[in-house]
Formats: sequence, structure tokens, C-alpha cells
Amino acid sequence: MLAVAAASPAQTRPDAAKQGEQVFEKSCATGYCHGIKGEPSGAPRLAGRGLSQTYITQAVTRGIAEGGMPSFARELSSAEIAAVVVYVASLNGTAGAANTTSTRTKSASAEAQAGEHLFRDPLRGFGRCSTCHSVERYGIPIAPLIRHVPASLADFKALISPTARLATVDGESIPVLLLAAGKSNTMFYDLSVLPPVQRVVASSEFRMSANVTWDHSSVVHAYNDADLGAVLAYLRDVISTDKN
Amino acid sequence: MRIRLILFLVMAGGAIAQPEGATSSDWPHYGGTQFTWRYSALDQINTTNVKALTPAWLFQTGDYSGNLQATPIVLDGVLYLITARANIFALDAATGRQIWHYTYPEPATVRGTGYRGLAVGGGKVIFGTRDDYVVALDQATGHMVWKVSMDDPAQCSCGINAAPLIAGDKVIVGATGGDSANRGYLTALRIKDGHLAWRWYVIPGPGEAGHDTWKGESWKYGGGAPWVTGSFDPELNLIYWGTGNAAADFYDGDRLPTGAKKNQDVNLYTASVVALDANSGKLRWHYQEIHDDTWDWDSVYEVMLVDLKIGAQTRKALVHMNKSGLTVVLDRLDGSLLQHFYVPEVQTWMDGITEDGKIIGRHEPVVGKSILICPSVDGAKSWNSMAYSPRTGFVYVPANEVCSTLTSADREVEEGRNYMDGTFRFELPPGRTTYSHIDAWNPVTGKRVWSVPYKYVLLASMLATSGDLVFTGNPEGDFFALDARTGEKLWSYQTGAGHRGSSIAYSVNGREYIATSTGWQTSVAGAHAQSLFPDQEWRGGSSLVVFALPDVK
Repeated sequence: MLAVAAASPAQTRPDAAKQGEQVFEKSCATGYCHGIKGEPSGAPRLAGRGLSQTYITQAVTRGIAEGGMPSFARELSSAEIAAVVVYVASLNGTAGAANTTSTRTKSASAEAQAGEHLFRDPLRGFGRCSTCHSVERYGIPIAPLIRHVPASLADFKALISPTARLATVDGESIPVLLLAAGKSNTMFYDLSVLPPVQRVVASSEFRMSANVTWDHSSVVHAYNDADLGAVLAYLRDVISTDKN
Repeated sequence: MRIRLILFLVMAGGAIAQPEGATSSDWPHYGGTQFTWRYSALDQINTTNVKALTPAWLFQTGDYSGNLQATPIVLDGVLYLITARANIFALDAATGRQIWHYTYPEPATVRGTGYRGLAVGGGKVIFGTRDDYVVALDQATGHMVWKVSMDDPAQCSCGINAAPLIAGDKVIVGATGGDSANRGYLTALRIKDGHLAWRWYVIPGPGEAGHDTWKGESWKYGGGAPWVTGSFDPELNLIYWGTGNAAADFYDGDRLPTGAKKNQDVNLYTASVVALDANSGKLRWHYQEIHDDTWDWDSVYEVMLVDLKIGAQTRKALVHMNKSGLTVVLDRLDGSLLQHFYVPEVQTWMDGITEDGKIIGRHEPVVGKSILICPSVDGAKSWNSMAYSPRTGFVYVPANEVCSTLTSADREVEEGRNYMDGTFRFELPPGRTTYSHIDAWNPVTGKRVWSVPYKYVLLASMLATSGDLVFTGNPEGDFFALDARTGEKLWSYQTGAGHRGSSIAYSVNGREYIATSTGWQTSVAGAHAQSLFPDQEWRGGSSLVVFALPDVK
């Protein structure tokens, strides 16, 4: 487990996250609502969306009127709310320093340092990694959190993202990352373009296929093999494959 | 009373009225029409009856985190408004009754409030956010239809607070961040699904024309962000926009190539008016207003597209004010200079301007020393908009006479961080008792026709109407009308909060309305101005006040 930089006085973050998971499974992952571990269910996916603690706290305590999310301010104690916020944040990499930075060695290799800049190089426009990925404090959290860094460039190129699938939207076949599927509306990331667009369409216009044909090679054109190797070196430096 | 629509009308004095520049019952775009005249063809309210103008309804937004800076949009009797924290309202424009309300989730890590407007087109209500997203809502229901990230604000320190511009099937946005170390751009998206159409960088990359006007690597951090709203000519299919000043603002040692001349294009395409092809985003022409700007003289303000009779010819022109107060009239087909005039009465940064628009006798900041620069770094005018009337042929300008004591520095560049390279304080110029004025300028002759002084500063937009009225508001809370021909004040109403926003004219069921936003508190120009007049208490607020003639229902 990773050392925690700034623990709250009452609990360390790993404890809070464990307790929060229990609260979550009891109060949130029920019936028509969220899925366990923040997977999508009746209510939208909560994992890997870069949701901030502020946003989660507001959602839990005030609800989200237009989304049908009720307020839990009266259902849960403040300790339970604090714990479940930490838990949901841990599914998003926003639970504090716990998730990413601690394994970073002070003297990162030259390749990893180059990779850090390449990852979010503005000269690569929307073709840069940070267009879809959030790592440390940079990047847009569109893709699920990177939890496992491929061991080799070949592995990386063969990477198929299981949550990105083909869907038919308004008659057009596009790769999507599903966010929420309701009776009336469906929310998803349109991956047919960079930058990806978060879209809401009538569920009647949306049909998900079982096809898993979207892979990373379609979006890494801005980098050559040496660049990609450096990016992978950077990611290995900063992401531990700990279960969290 | 019926409302006359003004169609083609040839005016003495060189102005030609065009239907594209004037609004009628709707106010469809941030600047009125995409020609950005802020001029309404409605004349039910005019010089003979404006004294009777009275509030018809008020709307209090409930979002007092910042003032109401936005220009509302009105289409088919529905008024669309955005507040300081991106609450979007659709209201019945005749009564103020709320139709729907959408709240953009508060960004976790990006601070700041204040949005200047939104755009409505293709069945969608579209706005930019301070955490650098563009969001489209369904026009009928206010539900989100799409949302797309333009950049990473943690890295670039950029965001969007200006109104987007609709141009055909696309919506175009600029960005803030021109005083930070990044590289500015304009982005066009498809209205129907938020797909990227094109992105044009203010600073050309390696191999592109103009790239060699930057020293070394300074092009990567040169700023130039276009942070206000541009204009569109559908017949020419050209987008017109103003770009920001180059970063570092007050020190050019790191960005000026060795041997570069200061009276020619340098650090392109910052501090320029540019014309881009609307389909491809490719640059058609540029006009750099201030070469090697070292005073934070942005060129980002509104671009008014006006056809003007110059001599015997009618020219497709544009009128544009640089933040310094230098105002140019350009041919909008090729960017050639037709006329220029200088609005401020007080200035200390140059000796003069040549006939072909070049600055002579530059009084530049010197590292480590303090100099007095008039106008101030908030400009001869702020981003609040001028207006143009084709009936009078005049451009109406709210100009400020304020100075800054400026001390320039030479700091290391750090990506995304503030890169002004200087500090400044605000001062009032000596020897005056009034510190702003509303002017009427003739853009063809370059002469000022009339000027009405005001004691404090003016930070609200102008509105001109075919009733021969110009409207604006002041920080003391007065919203008032002047005779567009003479500047005589004809009517005034105390709205209870200062004005740092915009007013519009529109009609519903044959009744004309004048709507104005109110509320003073703003982070930049408002606070600076308040500090100069410490005995004044200019009130914050966030309300839309809508006026009409009482006997018309």
C-alpha cells in the first residue's frame, strides 16, 4: 500500500476508503442505482471519471436534481459521508496523493522525464495523451484511470480498451465509452474524433454492440516509437499497480 | 405602434445601412448580429418618448458570486442568459417567467467567476467554461447535449469566458490565458455534435509563415490568446477576430528576434486583427496594430463589420479599437488600412502615429524602473463593447482616462504561469476632474463629433437604436439614454447596482424592450476602478432590468 501524504486526523485514507466501500455497497450500490465498484448500472458509472472530492461531496449532500440523484444528507452521518466520498474519490484517482505520486523516485530517468513532457506536449495538439488521460495533476479524465502500464511497446500497441465499444448512434457506427444508459437518455464519449465529445442522445437512437474493435493505435499517430517508449517509462515511474 | 424595419438606406456622411448589421425583433448574437454593431432597427422607443421608459420586469438571477456581465440573447420571444457561475436561464422575454434553468457543475480546481455571454444556434445554447470546456444545451429543454474539452487548464492556465460565435454550421471559441505562458488559438466545432472542425494557432509553428518573427523558443509561450468574441461575414465566409498581446507583456527581450525592427510585423500574429476562412480556419490576412507591444495593448476587442462610403467608393470595411485606444478602419477583404483615429485625451506611451498607422517615439517600460503609462493596463476601453449606428454613421465609444505606474521585470518563463513580466498600480491622470467620456466618432473622417464627460469610469457596453438613442450604464447604477445625434441626455433610471455588462433591444408581440444587466463586482477592471475612487460604493448585484413604454402592451 502506498504511504499517505496528508491523512485526515481521524482516519488514514486507506481506512476511510475501506469504510466508505461498505457505506457505498449498503447505500449507493442498490436497486436502480450505482453499480458496485462504481461500475455503471441504473445510475451512471462513477469509477474512472476524474470526479473531484468537491463534486462528489456536493452530489452526495445536495443531490443532482436533473440527474435524479437524491440528497443523502439526512440518510448518512457526516462520518459516513466523508468515508464514502473518499471511497468514490479513490475510484477516480482523486483521493489525494494515495494513488499515483508516491512511488516516484526523485531522480527519474532522462527517458521518463522526456516522457512526462511528451505525455502532455501541447505541440501535439489534441493528439497528445493528456487529451484523454489524467495522470498526476494534468490531463482530461476521459479514459478510465490507468492502473496497469503495458510492459512493452508491443503490448501497448496491442492494447484494446474493453470499455470502448462500437455503438450505432443516429444510424452512424462510432466507437464510444459508455457513461450512463437510462430509459430516456444515454450519455457516452464519442471516440470517433479528437478531442472526444461527451454526448447525450435519446436512448432510442443508441444501440451498443458487443464489438470490441477500438484500440489505442488509432489515436497515437502524434508519437513515434521512441516517444511512446519514453511515455511508457514515465507512466511506469508514476503509476503503481497496487490494488486500491 | 408598428415597428419600422430599416432596409437599404443611403445616408449622407458616408454610411450605408445594411440589413445584416441591424437587429430587429430578435437579438440573435452577442454583438447583435454577427457584424457586431450592437444596433437595433427598432424605433418604437425613440427620442420623442424615451422619457416615459419604465421597468416592465426584473429578473434576479440568484447568483451573486459575481456581477451579471453577459449580453443576453433573444430569439422568438425567449431570452437566454448566463450568470457569473454559469447558471443558464431561458426566460419568457415579455414577462421574465422562467422556462428552464441549467447549472454548470462548479469546476473543482479552477477559480474565478464571470461569463460574458453565450450563443444560440442549430437548436442549441452554447457556452464556454472557465475550466475550458464548450457545452451545448438543448435550446428547448436546457438539457446538456454535448460537452468537449478544449485544453487542460491545469497546464495552460486558460479557460473560456467570452461568448462563442455562431458561423454557419460551426461555433467558434477563443480562450483566456494570453498573459500566461502558452500559445493562443481559436477553435471551431461542429454545432450538431461538438466535433472539432479546425483550430487556428495565433502563433505559427515551425515552417509556417510568420514563425521566424519570434526569438528562439519564445513562440511556444508567446500568448496572444483571443479572449473576446469575433465577427462573421457570411457573404465573404470570413471570420474576423482580434488577438491578444504577446507574452511576456512588458518585456520583449526574450521574444524579439535580434535585429527585428519595431515598426514592422513582429511576434505574429499577436496584437492583430485577423481574417480566417470560416470553413478551414486558414488565415486570409492579418493587420498588426501595435508592432512589438510592450504595454499589454491587446487587439482582442470587438470587430465591427461596416460598409463605408469613402470618397466615391463603398468599401467593405471594419472598425476596430486596440486596447491603447488606437482605432483602425480596415478594408475587410484584404486588411488594408483606410483610416485611423486615437480616442484617449491623455496618453504617455508614444509621441504620435503616422498617417499609415505606425507608432513613433515609443516610451517603453525599462526593466527595474517605473514609468507612468496612460491609458492604464485596463485600456482606453475595456472589453465592453462600442456600438455603431448606420443612421448617424457614428461609432459610440465609452472611453476611460486612467493611468498605470508600470514596473517591468525579466522573469523566467514557466509554462502556464502568469508571464506579464511586470507589476502595475493604477493612478488618475493629473489636471482633470472627469475620468471617462462617451464619444461619437465618424469612422470615415476620423473625427470626434461629440463627447460627453463622466466623473468616474465607464465599463458597460453601448447600445444604439434606430430611435436615434444610445444606451449605457455607469458604476453608480444609472442606466441612461443619450440622443445619438447630439449626446444630450434624454432619460436616466437608477437600477440600484453598478453597470459592467451589456444592454440589448428586442421586441415581442409588437412591444419593444430594452434590457440591461446589472452588478458591479468584477475581478479586473471593476476592482481596479473602485480602488481609484475609495469614497464611492458601487453596488454588486446580478439582475436583468427590462424597460418598455408603459402604454404599449
